[in-house]
Amino acid sequence: MVLEREILPFWVWLLPRVDSDGVLHLGALLLFFLIVVGLAVVSVFLGYLRMMILQGPGEGFYAVAKSIATAISRDFPQTRMGRILAMARLAIQESLRRRVLVAFFVFAVVLLFAGWFLDPQSDHPARLYLGFVLSSAEPMILILAILLSVFSLPNDIKNHTIYTVVTKPVRASEIVLGRILGFCTILTFMLVVMCAVSYVFVIRGLDHTHTVHLDDMVPLGAAGDEAVSWTGETSRDAHHRHEITIGPDGFGQTDRQMDHEHSVWIVGEGDDQQVMIGPPRGALVARVPIYGTLRFKDRTGRPGQGISVGKEWTYRQYIEGGSLAAGVWTFDGITPERYPEGYLPLEMTLGVFRTYKGDIVSPVLGALTVKNPSTGLSSEPIPFGARDFVTLSHQIPQQLRAIDADGTLRDVDLFEDLVDEQGRTEIWVSCEEPAQYFGMAQADLYIRGPDRSFAWNFVKGYMGIWLQMIIITCFGVMFSTFLSGPVAMVATFMVYMVGMFKEFIMGLATGELPGGGPVESLLRTALQMNITIELDMGPVIDRVVPAIDRVLLFFMWVAATIFPDFGVFNTSRFVAYGFNISGHLLAQQLVMAGAFVVVLSIYGYFFLKSREVAA
Amino acid sequence: MDMPATKEATAPAEPVATGTESDVIIETRNLTKVYRDFWGRQKVRALKALDLEVRRGEIFGLLGPNGSGKTTTMKLLLGLLFPTSGRALVFGKDASDVAKNERIGYLPEESYLYRFLNAEETLDFYGRLFDMPAKLRQERIRELIGMVNLGWARRRQLKEYSKGMARRIGLAQALINDPELIMLDEPTTGLDPIGTREMKDLILRLRDEGKTVLMCSHLLADVQDVCDRIAILYQGELKELGRVDRLLTVQDVTQIQARGLSPEAQAEIRQVIAQHGGELLSMDNPTSTLEELFLNIVRDSEARPGRRAQEKR
Ligand SMILES: Nc1ncnc2c1ncn2[C@@H]1O[C@H](COP(=O)(O)OP(=O)(O)O)[C@@H](O)[C@H]1O
Ligand SMILES: [Mg+2]
Repeated sequence: MVLEREILPFWVWLLPRVDSDGVLHLGALLLFFLIVVGLAVVSVFLGYLRMMILQGPGEGFYAVAKSIATAISRDFPQTRMGRILAMARLAIQESLRRRVLVAFFVFAVVLLFAGWFLDPQSDHPARLYLGFVLSSAEPMILILAILLSVFSLPNDIKNHTIYTVVTKPVRASEIVLGRILGFCTILTFMLVVMCAVSYVFVIRGLDHTHTVHLDDMVPLGAAGDEAVSWTGETSRDAHHRHEITIGPDGFGQTDRQMDHEHSVWIVGEGDDQQVMIGPPRGALVARVPIYGTLRFKDRTGRPGQGISVGKEWTYRQYIEGGSLAAGVWTFDGITPERYPEGYLPLEMTLGVFRTYKGDIVSPVLGALTVKNPSTGLSSEPIPFGARDFVTLSHQIPQQLRAIDADGTLRDVDLFEDLVDEQGRTEIWVSCEEPAQYFGMAQADLYIRGPDRSFAWNFVKGYMGIWLQMIIITCFGVMFSTFLSGPVAMVATFMVYMVGMFKEFIMGLATGELPGGGPVESLLRTALQMNITIELDMGPVIDRVVPAIDRVLLFFMWVAATIFPDFGVFNTSRFVAYGFNISGHLLAQQLVMAGAFVVVLSIYGYFFLKSREVAA
Repeated sequence: MDMPATKEATAPAEPVATGTESDVIIETRNLTKVYRDFWGRQKVRALKALDLEVRRGEIFGLLGPNGSGKTTTMKLLLGLLFPTSGRALVFGKDASDVAKNERIGYLPEESYLYRFLNAEETLDFYGRLFDMPAKLRQERIRELIGMVNLGWARRRQLKEYSKGMARRIGLAQALINDPELIMLDEPTTGLDPIGTREMKDLILRLRDEGKTVLMCSHLLADVQDVCDRIAILYQGELKELGRVDRLLTVQDVTQIQARGLSPEAQAEIRQVIAQHGGELLSMDNPTSTLEELFLNIVRDSEARPGRRAQEKR
């Protein structure tokens, strides 16, 4: 799986720090406070501007000061859970009357017809199924969240039902929070059901078994009368068949097909002997990668950078085959206690870039070496064959052979000789075929720790959707405090879009991506001008267009900075590719969502409070 | 509304004239409202520099033809609208203070309630907004549904209610918190004659319980029957203000009504009037003078726009 962003440990993410290159990172907390302060200053200023136009400078100042004072001294402290719950109940009743539960029906239909979209012959059926359910649940629940949250308040204002509510001792904060709570409750209920249904759908969809008869099995090396092992082939079911090997003890397993295997065992005696095949194993996993840090050696073997191949994504760097170039991962905490099985389980997914494409079927050869970072003692190269982005598993055994300084081979122990005093070891990866390249990024090679529960990982994937749903609901309710329903809907949808394409917009706004700003791109599109040629349309346009774009891009940058980054919340890939969603990521998501709930509720309060509901 | 007609039993309460702070429940100072459109352009001057005081324990009526600014006044007092200038004070606090709503009940012009709730759910919802304990809330709901005679329809969604039924549940909603101040916007619209009578009796009974009532209406009869003091609004301006009985007494006109007078006796009375230099206007049944007053105001303000009222005591 391509991990485009490094997942920082929670505290590293949260707090300010200076990284190894001496670059200061503010950390989420400080960034949040800066954004909040910035927003507060801008909002107070805009609020004052509005009141000044309406009431004059002096009165306007008084009005703004008073509304802030009222909020802090009275309305916030006097916010009561009882009234929030009453508003939440109303929101739920309203949603039920608006028949939101129909969405269940839609989801059920989507799953029913899923078979049409899901290619049954795929090599990775689990990936396909999981990706499908998660990526259809997400837009569904988010669209539902937008539709629910955005029309409620404007309808109340339009129908004047708000009159009898705000003339009760209910605070604007309670109206906003109650709505958020109510909609989130009903949406959560729906999401929980969707989660359960889709879990069953995936399990049932991937479940299958095969049959095999003992008569069809080939006995191997009869060592006496009884102790015989067998090989054979299963029947073809669910578009694949497995090879089987059964040991002398009557137990065995199939080979790995379509990301899974089965246990096989023999029951019965004499003529009643039968081969039993268990349920598929290994398709639904939550593997825990333990990442190291990656550095590169250039083609002369000196520390350096890998190369970027053409316009490839710079995140992944390439090393040249047949040279001294290598990718070097350093891992910490390698102790026999942590790896009691006596081997290091490695998994590796490399990009393979071929400069000549004579034979594109067979893998490109590479080699792994384990090296002690302190003594420089390194193991004999372990060969492997890599295909573009195909995951390879390697168990580095405890007993290895190493090349001594004098060039002699000797037996060494992984933990004793190839791990240094601090428990560190290095894995060197090189490409053995000249003119071929391996692309690698830090997350591409990792030690596979003990697996976690897949079901819980599935739930965590849904939690990412759940948190997005909460944020979207908050935006919807916040916008609906001052916009009409349809406008609030469009606004919320925009937030969703900006959030989805945050990185792209950031790239545009900071000028990392070519093509210029919105006006320039419009011009280029209209004139069918390639984005790489200079804009050359006379001195005026050449100046004015980028100037306008700078302003627009600044606003885009602001929007992209303060709007939620939904990429962080979308963890369906983790689930689909069988990677555990780390607690650190989940904690970051939770904190971010919480921050949005707080800030958006406060905005909602001020917008609603400063609004004449009867105008 | 099964309560005895109480009108006869009570004389209009004399408002306490001492005017201590706590006795002024509602006060408006120079209250002005201009409706603006989206671009901030002036659309309607709905209320012009209104000065009013409503005192504890009285029934105060805002009277005026449609569009004269009665509802606007009420919305300003409730904080549903913000004044363009001037102030609106309720219980001595600014109208924008939410805490005052603890002691207020409000029946809007039309019953703007959630159509998907039934009567009980509606009252339960509003009761919760007052943070009323569940037991008290249940009791109060039962009581109010009985009072407005909707027991038979208490499980029906409000969208199935007739206008009169919606009005009743609206009233029950306004009384859920046993308010000290009740604001009723056109309380009798949509009610049949019996309903109207019951509504008026209820208003009087609330006054007898010591509550203050502010109601507005364009119906003279409503106001005449129940209000202690009235303000007459016309095109956003206050035209008359005072006790109903005093407003209705046209000082320089004496009405004589008698029964069983012989023609001789009538001639004699004419003579007496002539002796005192008076001029007999009529000896017919008097017309509804409030209506007359009202029409006079309209005529007057068309002739001399901008004339303002002095309180008549
Ligand atoms: N929301 C509004 N926007 C613009 N004008 C309004 C609005 N509400 C009322 N008005 C105008 O203000 C004036 C007073 O209205 P209102 O207070 O409702 O009168 P009343 O209750 O006495 O019938 C009317 O001319 C009306 O058209
Ligand atoms: Mg009105």
